[in-house]
Amino acid sequence: MELSGSGTAEPGTSTSLLMVSAINKRFGGVRALRDVNLEVRAGEVHALLGENGAGKSTLIKILSGVHALDSGTIEIAGRPVEFDSPAKSREAGIAVVYQDLSLVESLSVADNLLLGREPRARFGFVRQRALMARAEAFLNELGIPLDTRATVGSLPFAYRQMTEIAKALMGEVRLLILDEPTSSLTSDEVRILFDAIGKATRRGVGVIYVTHRLNEVFEISQRVTVLRDGANAGTFVTAETDMKRLVNAIVGADRSTPTGPRTEPAAKRELDPLPVLSLSDVSNDRLRAVDLSVLKGEIHGLAGLIGSGRTEILETVFGLRPLESGAIEIEGRRWLPGGPADAIEQGIALVPEDRHVQGLVLDHSIERNVTLPRISHFSRWGWMQQRAAARRAETAVARLSVKAPGAFSLVRTLSGGNQQKVVFGKWNDPRPRVLLLDEPTVGVDVGAREEIYAVIRNAVRDGSGVLVVSSDLVELIELCDRISVIVNGHVARTLSRGEIDDAEELHHLLQIYQASGPGHLQELPA
Amino acid sequence: MTELTAPNVVASSTRSDRRRKILQNLLRGERPYMLYIAFVILLVVFSLSSPWFLSVDNFLNIGRQTTLVSIIAVGMTFIIIARQIDLSVASTLALSGMAAALAMSQINNSWIVGAVAGLGTGALVGLLNGILTTQLSIPSFLVTLGSLSMARGLAMMVTNTKPVIITNETYFAIFGEGTFLGIPVPIAWTLAAMIIGILLLHYNVFGRRIYAVGGNPTAALYSGINTKRITTSAFVLTGTLAGLAALVLSARSHAARPDVVQGMELDVIAAVILGGCSLFGGRGYILGTLFGSLIIGTLNNGLVLLGVSSPMQLVIKGAIIVAAVAFTKR
Repeated sequence: MELSGSGTAEPGTSTSLLMVSAINKRFGGVRALRDVNLEVRAGEVHALLGENGAGKSTLIKILSGVHALDSGTIEIAGRPVEFDSPAKSREAGIAVVYQDLSLVESLSVADNLLLGREPRARFGFVRQRALMARAEAFLNELGIPLDTRATVGSLPFAYRQMTEIAKALMGEVRLLILDEPTSSLTSDEVRILFDAIGKATRRGVGVIYVTHRLNEVFEISQRVTVLRDGANAGTFVTAETDMKRLVNAIVGADRSTPTGPRTEPAAKRELDPLPVLSLSDVSNDRLRAVDLSVLKGEIHGLAGLIGSGRTEILETVFGLRPLESGAIEIEGRRWLPGGPADAIEQGIALVPEDRHVQGLVLDHSIERNVTLPRISHFSRWGWMQQRAAARRAETAVARLSVKAPGAFSLVRTLSGGNQQKVVFGKWNDPRPRVLLLDEPTVGVDVGAREEIYAVIRNAVRDGSGVLVVSSDLVELIELCDRISVIVNGHVARTLSRGEIDDAEELHHLLQIYQASGPGHLQELPA
Repeated sequence: MTELTAPNVVASSTRSDRRRKILQNLLRGERPYMLYIAFVILLVVFSLSSPWFLSVDNFLNIGRQTTLVSIIAVGMTFIIIARQIDLSVASTLALSGMAAALAMSQINNSWIVGAVAGLGTGALVGLLNGILTTQLSIPSFLVTLGSLSMARGLAMMVTNTKPVIITNETYFAIFGEGTFLGIPVPIAWTLAAMIIGILLLHYNVFGRRIYAVGGNPTAALYSGINTKRITTSAFVLTGTLAGLAALVLSARSHAARPDVVQGMELDVIAAVILGGCSLFGGRGYILGTLFGSLIIGTLNNGLVLLGVSSPMQLVIKGAIIVAAVAFTKR
């Protein structure tokens, strides 16, 4: 760390690995990039920030050879390059890890790492043992804890992502581009990822790190470049800037800083003591004796690592997992979940973790998606009342300020933040009694995130109870009245917001509870 | 005030939305317009090359010949939109026909008994296909590959491969040889199936659910839709329509034969895909299916009139189907 730190402290002395000068790109009438500059030095982690639509993706696609630039120059180690295909970019030593994974799920980790360059014997037979050995040696060198024999499809998402990064680092890589690599990682996994990035930069690899999480910028990057509306909005030396200045650069000075004071401090709001949802001693294949309550008007957070059972608590309440023992009560009345339809009938709503797979039919219109959960409300004797459905969708689009040409626009064409608003739109009328949220702002830009927070706060103001799972601890601290720490399918502890100072402290708590009882549930502090 | 104006604003905006969409599709040359254009081109080509093609009699002939495919294709549209496939429809037709004819010969020679037996057998095969697919999570391709064989085998077993003669005049009139409002009944039954299909798919909650299940089964489940029941219903609908097609065919030929329409499932699937359904689910519409099956029927008819040899007909038909799908796909 000290070595690379001293190298990047004096600008000008270290060599610039990548020099992007005044590039422009137009799509039809839209200027996606306007005279954008970017410099990345060898061994540097350079964070790239900006709201969705600011031009980050376009810039990355130009660097990776997917799009051609209209004007401007790109130099690598002082030599001008022109990419007319992804292969050319790869040849120049640029590797990109995309948000959408590019792995073959049915193959093993080792097979994926060496896909297309397998060690071969005569007649094209693969030397399986050599392949395994090479993959293993490479992973050991990077310090990435992956089982080379594991089938990629059976791995948790975070490990697939690590496979993806390891794959990108194989071969002659000089510049590694990571597009939101931590959006689905737990804090432990983020640590492993950051270690791997550190090992890469020490070998002189330059890293462009795209993220929506500002705290990571301060943790890992040496410099930050912010894009806004397709143009440079500033480049900062990370050590000399702060959160507020970066947020200002991202959203623009004319918009009020989203880090300002909230409507009302969560902990000071008066809560109705009646729980809208309570779980007592709930157990099934993934949960052990979960005790939990959500009060009317409360935002209750679930903190824990991926696989700790956070998501499974929501799934059990929503009827997606059988309840084996214990009891669930809705507004004081005992209820046995019989499936999602039954849960919806009870006024329970779920905004699932993966909006593409679980939340939306991407090829259908906003109207079709929004009306889906309560479709019988828009029909008489089974016949659709198209006007009522359209009206409902128009209202949702307006109320949630979804940026779309109309209620009949296809969901696929919307940005991540607007797609997430559509998922919320499925549940906003009638007001749900219990709103279950799983990672509500993953892959959502800063502006849309604030809007989604406003939607959540409005829901509790109208009397809903909210149970929210999030890996973003800052988000939990910002939103929640109480936070429960989940470890191995069990509620290790429930804290009120007043008991925790900041995300840092919550992070420590998580580490402590995780360390105190891996697999030893009975010994956990109650 | 706002309450009064809001619905009008919404309605007009959705209408202009739709109009814009139609215009966009036309300009980009996307389906469904390419399908209609292809159909017209086909009509023009055959009209110019055969003097017998362009006549009311011949068109009624095409209509009658496409009846079986068209009726079953309505059900297949639901199945394919729901991301499933049904290979057993031709065998189901054969089995349903045998059931109808045998039931009539056993019980009072009553056409009602025959109709109930035929439709019921079709529905039952569909129900079994649906239950095996959804409850045992076996891909419908494999389930219906199995029932294709089993239903055909059963149809042959019941009479030891002999045909069953039907003698009920009312049955012939209702399903095969009469007219309804001046329209030959086979065509009337096709139109009825189409209209029911359009109502169910485009104007009923069931249709919405079918689209959602095919568009993204997980999202549909998470939205509280009973995806298994919806999928099973699509199979029952298709089986019942195969039963209806069996009534039409047996009434026309005054007998049920166990070896009829072998391989017709391929024509049915081709019609649905030509008509714009996506094999990946979530997309498609009944009117497209009608034109898909008309294109196949017209091809069969026109090539015969042109005196093309029957092996050559198969080659040309296959090539045109592949070319049409390649040309109209998104």
